[in-house]
Amino acid sequence: MSRQQNKEANTNPNSQQLPGRHRGAPVKAPKVKNITGTLYRIWGYMSNQKGLFILVLLMVLISSSLSLLGPYLLGVTVDKLIANYETSSLITMLSILLVIYLFQSLSVWFQNYWMITIAQNTVYRMRNHLFSHLQQLSMAFFQKRQSGDLMSRLTNDMENLSRTLNSSVIQFSTSALTITGTIIIMLWLSPLLTFLTLLIVPVMFGGLKWITKRTGYYFKEQQRNLGDINGYMEESLTGHNIIKMFSREKKVIEEFRVRNAALKDSGYWAQTYSGFIPKLMNMLNNVSFALIVGVGGILALNGMISIGVIVIFTTYSRQFTRPLNDLANQFNIILSAVAGAERVFNIIDKEEEKSDEADATDISSIQGDIKFEAVSFGYEEGQDILKNVSFHAGPGETVALVGPTGAGKTTIISLLTRFYDADEGEILVDGQNIQNITRESLRKQMGVVLQDSILFETTVRENIRYGRLNASDEEVEQAAKRANAHSFISKLPKGYDTVLDSDGKSISHGQRQLLSIARAMLANPSVLILDEATSSIDTITEMKINDALDTLMEGRTSFVIAHRLNTIKNADQILVLKNGEIIEKGNHQQLLDQKGFYHDLVKAQENKDVI
Amino acid sequence: MRKILSYVKTYQKAAWIAIFLMAVELAVELVQPILMAIIIDKGVVPGELSTVMTWGGVLVGLSLLAFAGGIISSYFASEVSQGVGHDLREDLFVKIQELSLVQFQKFSTSSLLTRLTIDVTQIQGFLFMSLRIMLRAPLFIIGGIIMAFTVHTGLALILLLSVPILLAVMLWIMTKGVKLFSSVQEKLDSVNTVIRENLMGIRLIKVFSRHKHENKRFTNVNDTLADINKRALWTMELAMPIVMFGMNASLVAILWFGSIEMNTGGAQAGEIVAIINYGTRILGSFSVFSFLLMNFSRGKASATRITGVLDENIEEQNIHHNGEKKHIKGEITFQNVSFRYPSSPNPALKNISFSVKAGETVGILGETGSGKTSIMQLLPRLVDPTSGEIKIDQLNISRYEVEALRTQIGFVPQEAHLFSGSVKDNISWGKEDASMEEISRAAKDAGIHDFIMTLPEQYETKLGQRGVNFSGGQKQRLSMARAFVRKPSILLLDDSTSALDAKTEVKVLETLRNQACTTLIIAQKISSVKEADKILLLQHGKLIASGTHESLLNESDYYRNIYKSQRQEEVISYVPATE
Repeated sequence: MSRQQNKEANTNPNSQQLPGRHRGAPVKAPKVKNITGTLYRIWGYMSNQKGLFILVLLMVLISSSLSLLGPYLLGVTVDKLIANYETSSLITMLSILLVIYLFQSLSVWFQNYWMITIAQNTVYRMRNHLFSHLQQLSMAFFQKRQSGDLMSRLTNDMENLSRTLNSSVIQFSTSALTITGTIIIMLWLSPLLTFLTLLIVPVMFGGLKWITKRTGYYFKEQQRNLGDINGYMEESLTGHNIIKMFSREKKVIEEFRVRNAALKDSGYWAQTYSGFIPKLMNMLNNVSFALIVGVGGILALNGMISIGVIVIFTTYSRQFTRPLNDLANQFNIILSAVAGAERVFNIIDKEEEKSDEADATDISSIQGDIKFEAVSFGYEEGQDILKNVSFHAGPGETVALVGPTGAGKTTIISLLTRFYDADEGEILVDGQNIQNITRESLRKQMGVVLQDSILFETTVRENIRYGRLNASDEEVEQAAKRANAHSFISKLPKGYDTVLDSDGKSISHGQRQLLSIARAMLANPSVLILDEATSSIDTITEMKINDALDTLMEGRTSFVIAHRLNTIKNADQILVLKNGEIIEKGNHQQLLDQKGFYHDLVKAQENKDVI
Repeated sequence: MRKILSYVKTYQKAAWIAIFLMAVELAVELVQPILMAIIIDKGVVPGELSTVMTWGGVLVGLSLLAFAGGIISSYFASEVSQGVGHDLREDLFVKIQELSLVQFQKFSTSSLLTRLTIDVTQIQGFLFMSLRIMLRAPLFIIGGIIMAFTVHTGLALILLLSVPILLAVMLWIMTKGVKLFSSVQEKLDSVNTVIRENLMGIRLIKVFSRHKHENKRFTNVNDTLADINKRALWTMELAMPIVMFGMNASLVAILWFGSIEMNTGGAQAGEIVAIINYGTRILGSFSVFSFLLMNFSRGKASATRITGVLDENIEEQNIHHNGEKKHIKGEITFQNVSFRYPSSPNPALKNISFSVKAGETVGILGETGSGKTSIMQLLPRLVDPTSGEIKIDQLNISRYEVEALRTQIGFVPQEAHLFSGSVKDNISWGKEDASMEEISRAAKDAGIHDFIMTLPEQYETKLGQRGVNFSGGQKQRLSMARAFVRKPSILLLDDSTSALDAKTEVKVLETLRNQACTTLIIAQKISSVKEADKILLLQHGKLIASGTHESLLNESDYYRNIYKSQRQEEVISYVPATE
């Protein structure tokens, strides 16, 4: 998981929403493999709130019926007005109307209130489940995935689901209920006027189809152009000082203009066409309004309907087209959320790290005697990364792992920490096969200092304390002093209470390294795993790091993926790896005498020195 | 916001047409209830079929007119919004290109990218909406009330009273909600931070067996998020039911007073129906209104972020547009040069003086923050010294035309930054009119030619974005070729050889010596600059020693210490078979 990938994922503006999308513009339906299955699983997270959910549905039913009843009663009241009813019955009518309106508002509020509660609780549970599951996943899972993709599932997809649950369930069911109810009431009042109102449906779908065919094409174009220009902008922004150094500003701007113009072009058409949709809906609304009033007027003249019915119809026809359009949009929104949920469940379905063997025991303290016996391992079947590796490291020994990238150095360490289990052979810690030891207790005996120091967005103190959560402030400072980190920490604006950002901009690379050494120092492990930094750290800090590492390694069995000739020279044992095999083994002098691969490496180094 | 609106000026005509067409649509919708009243009162009640037919026809005709207006306005509104978006993006981009190094560093790259993309899109959407519906909602509310007055003054008064109150209530709830939502965003960020940290540090977390701790941490932030999210949403959802009830209650009041008026002959049935119709439409506008308010507040935030960049004053000091353009030989003199970044309280360079003869190679050593990079930024005038003088060929560098100066300087940054395009494009990036021969010469000098020839399309091979299909060392060598192709008089290498393996570094250093230009090399390792004509040793912004390797070994304890420690820090490097 490189930092690079992560950064790209975070700043990648391609993931933004379609620009210019607004109400009425079609949302593209994504592909969902198994809708019912996924919905059922989402329901699984909701099911503990069944009672609330039923209440919500009840409220939706009430609010939809009341919103249908309102216009009807209004029309009836108008009729009574015209027929000059006596005041007392008018008062009754109006009071009923008022009560209905009150309950309508109340039911709307309660349905939303409860649905939000359900939605947020559901998403909360899913997030927690997902996160704790993530902790249990095997290392192999993380190595195969881009962290950017995982990040997006955990954040964007969850957020999308959260939003959809908040509103879409209600909107969807309200729309469906309203449409059905409206049609029923309208049919009952006047089949002829209903028929007139329904006339606009095919026109609406025809029009929408015409429009979406065009917008679909241009939105795709726009998305492509947007991706193109974003890539270009990112590149030229990160290369800002080089562009300046090489006086390329004009040329860069020129190229930008071409892309910008292309984006404008496709954006123009996408927006224009999608802008037709609300207008189309509006026009259909207006035409049906006119038709209802006109035809309704004629019918009223013939005494077939009352004026009140016209009033009712004008309101219903509005209540009818909007939910129809909403329904289509909501459907796509829900589909896209379900597709996101499916991506999330994909992660949850990934196998967890194998649980400990039934007879595995805890170990409390170890000497640090480590033995690999004919260990072979491959990430994928048939591709052995380690072949028949055997070695023995006594307590307190330093073992340097040397070899080109891909030789298997990291794999040895991954096996030792049981991120993976060996396919063949045995790994023994103090004579005990590590498969018989619980992962947690085994890992507690080990400390790591990785090349790319991982820091958390919290204080310096908490970052060090991560090594042993119950360490006192004093112990933290003690560890920092031994790791040569104390002096720079005291110079930070707030000392140990300075909050670090996880990008680590506030402190230098070398200082990050010192902090992670302090962390390992505090953990006080019996076995130490070190990935030496290759990147250039300034000389003074590097001296401090080396000094601190030497202190840290004292008295612990240490495995070092070594780059520094000095570490290698001083190691008790050097394992030279190539293509998954230990090709040479011994201390510096022994290996030099063998005149093999190691000898050549060291000689090449010395040659370079001579120049 | 005002600055952004000034961009609309370019598209004034289209904007006015769009607004005019919107007004047409609006007018049609406002007239509809009146026409309906006429149909009822003059047609249905007295039984005049022809009146019903005529006015019904007028209604349909007007609807079609409004539709035509709406369709045409879509064209003009997109022209404005896309045009403004395009212009904003361009001006922003040009502005960013013009920013001086110091100014550029004030913004993070990702925040600039956000401004160029999401913020511009936000403005674009906001404009499109404004030209189409934003004015509609408020105008409809006002227009509806006015029209109601023309229908029946007494009954319209009810609307006049209730609408402003309901608007105020809605605004109040929404401002509360928007505030809550900004803290939702904060909490969401902290949830995402924990996730990101866990994804990046999963190895560490596993080895330290900290999953319980992490779970607890996550549950904590997740708790707060769910909590505040609920509160924000609940608040927002309060607005519509209240407004709905208020508006419906007004309708009931209109009916009540209407019936009284009717009894006294002060109102007709059609009039009441018309006013109720206005009322329901105004109610409809409320939800649009709340939607628009949300958009406006977002658009405003985007506008502020955009103008934040646009308002940066370009501060490339005293640029001589007709400055010296002559060919430089490469003699460099620093006289008492001090430099301080405006953002930092401490000077980066203090009283630096040294001189370099044309064609010499100079190594610069020092720890992080000792001022090495500042020297490299001063020479091509990415920054200017706070005091002191820098001369090239005896002439103060501020007398040169900036572009002429920079074209004669080659620069190889610490981290090779390549651009998408072919290998050839990337090398000729250093010199636009470079011939194929010059390009391959430069590639050979940088030790990358042989590798390029093994690629399927050789010099025409495309690099992925930022050169993802090349190894670090290969990218670094391409970046060197890019500098070599300019045949610069001064070559600056900002610690660019450390990513190379031993053999290549030796080769490259050899090539550098054979280039006829003045070369400044920042290095971490003494071995990289041992052969230089002069080595500058910097500490905390001061030049503490200078001289050849041998003389420094004799004279400087500091240098000797570094040398000794580095002898021990030799790094084994493997020469991968692929390179």
